[in-house]
Amino acid sequence: MAILNTIDPLGRPGAGPSQRQRRRTRRAGRRSRRQWLIGYAFVAPAVLLFLVMGLYTVGYSVTLSFAKWNGFTPNWEWVGLDNYRDLLYRDPTLAPELRAAAWHTAIAMLAVPLGTVAVALPLAVLLNTIRRLRGLLRSVYFLPYVTTGIAVYYAWRYVLEPDGAINLLLRSVGLGSVARPEGWLADPDTALATLIVIIIWGGVPVAMLLYLAGLQAIDPHLTEAAQLDGAGGVRVVRHITWPLLVPITAAITLLGIRDTMQGFQIFLLMTNGGPGGHTDVLGLQAYQLAFFQNLSPTLGVASALGWLIFLAALLLTVVNARLLRSSQ
Amino acid sequence: MTVIRPAVRRRPSVGHLVAYAALALYAVVSLYPFAWMVSGALKNRDEILRGGHLVPRQPTWDTLVETWSRLHFFDYLLNSLRVTGLTVVGVLVVYSLASYAFAVLDFPGRRFLFWFFVALLFVPGITVLLPLVILENKLGILGTHLGLVLPFVNGTAPLTVLLLTNAFRSIPRELHDAARVDGAGEGRIFWRVYLPLSRPALITIAVLTAVPTWNEYVLTRVSLNDESRYTLPLALEMLASGNVPRYNEIMAGSLILVVPVIVLFLVAQRYFVNGLTGAVKD
Repeated sequence: MAILNTIDPLGRPGAGPSQRQRRRTRRAGRRSRRQWLIGYAFVAPAVLLFLVMGLYTVGYSVTLSFAKWNGFTPNWEWVGLDNYRDLLYRDPTLAPELRAAAWHTAIAMLAVPLGTVAVALPLAVLLNTIRRLRGLLRSVYFLPYVTTGIAVYYAWRYVLEPDGAINLLLRSVGLGSVARPEGWLADPDTALATLIVIIIWGGVPVAMLLYLAGLQAIDPHLTEAAQLDGAGGVRVVRHITWPLLVPITAAITLLGIRDTMQGFQIFLLMTNGGPGGHTDVLGLQAYQLAFFQNLSPTLGVASALGWLIFLAALLLTVVNARLLRSSQ
Repeated sequence: MTVIRPAVRRRPSVGHLVAYAALALYAVVSLYPFAWMVSGALKNRDEILRGGHLVPRQPTWDTLVETWSRLHFFDYLLNSLRVTGLTVVGVLVVYSLASYAFAVLDFPGRRFLFWFFVALLFVPGITVLLPLVILENKLGILGTHLGLVLPFVNGTAPLTVLLLTNAFRSIPRELHDAARVDGAGEGRIFWRVYLPLSRPALITIAVLTAVPTWNEYVLTRVSLNDESRYTLPLALEMLASGNVPRYNEIMAGSLILVVPVIVLFLVAQRYFVNGLTGAVKD
């Protein structure tokens, strides 16, 4: 969220300490060296923690992605790029599984940001037009965000059961033909879509809040001036409101892509890839390769898959940022 | 503007009614699983099997009470509080110091370090999960609460550093320089000027850290073995792992897990909402 206005918080011209202090540096080299030490002392805990927890794990993971290992034998077997090749095309079981998982991930990555924006934006616009109950409704809408996790996933599973509340609701309003007698998560046709809806349900709160803030930041004089000049509702939205909301949409899309690409907790807890691999996603696959293969040497492949996810996420983010910037 | 608006607002227009109807509809969507969570938690075993009504025919506290005591939920609640509390404190201490340095102090490598921390946003958790477990095993902290807290703190680095550096940047430089002239050192300025003035940002960070930590499942699942150290999500999973899911107990456990975060959210809401939306308004 802070990405919105923090494209470069260190780089605001003139506001920074750097210029001022650089002048000071020239004046008194010794004092500035003390300043440096103070600076390093302040960042030391963060850097130290990263050196222990972050650098080692990142380095280890990169190295491991070029080896075969089952976690128990003393030595790694170096295989170079084999893990990557196996994943991408060579291994007759892994490669097709990966392709299916990549496809599911791609669908979710497209549907989640689209769905989130499609629900959150109208919701924020409506919420912005009313006075009464606004605070209460905002809190109600925000509930899914604070509770996202295992508890709420179980609640959804309960609701989605064969005799659960969703089927019950559909039957009681005469839409029994839409109901899923096996339950929504056990039906291959609906499992992935159902999970996507739940991810959107959990993503709407933050998006709604950001849009609401964006709408409230729009100067009402601007819209009124436009209306006085004869601009209709559609034109006001197109030429005044929407341009101001583009950066927010960009941030929501980026966060949605990143979370869908990297996250797999909901898939793990609700379906574990089932039924029949219909909800298998990349993150889940990496998790299973890393933790549930017993003595098969799949740890290297798991690492390689992790880095493929990283590259894909990075690439998508860059492309997306470019596209959105040029459309602005 | 003041002349036109009240006249329009006085009568409830059709548009407003439609707006309220749509907003109420989404409120139902938003609350739907929670309503069934509460409903399930108040049903006994017979009724949960029969399914059906949202309002329990014979509402009972027994399910909640039994789930709470039979599964030692209190112990798990304490574990969760401990892990979440330590993580929040760690995040606030480590990254407020670092962000202060990024925002206010000058030293070679400042820019590089800042962007380095932010770039970590793109490393997927799953990529480093396995090496993390191996590392913790070597350090002898695998399966301990410390073994959860350290990676949790490290994991919040990107967003926290971004938000806090930004908050410290927005404090007028003159305050720093004036304190300097009065003879205060950086530590004192940080503690007496910057921290108090950034309270809303710090509370936002605390809530943004506490909520996902409280709900965290994956790392906790793969690193904790000893049941006595389990946090609430694992306790809930244990409850749900039986052959036949007893949904009334699972919903009771879910409710126990969810209520503390809802309370936290309601209490800190004002700061939290402002902190989040402040990112847009600036």
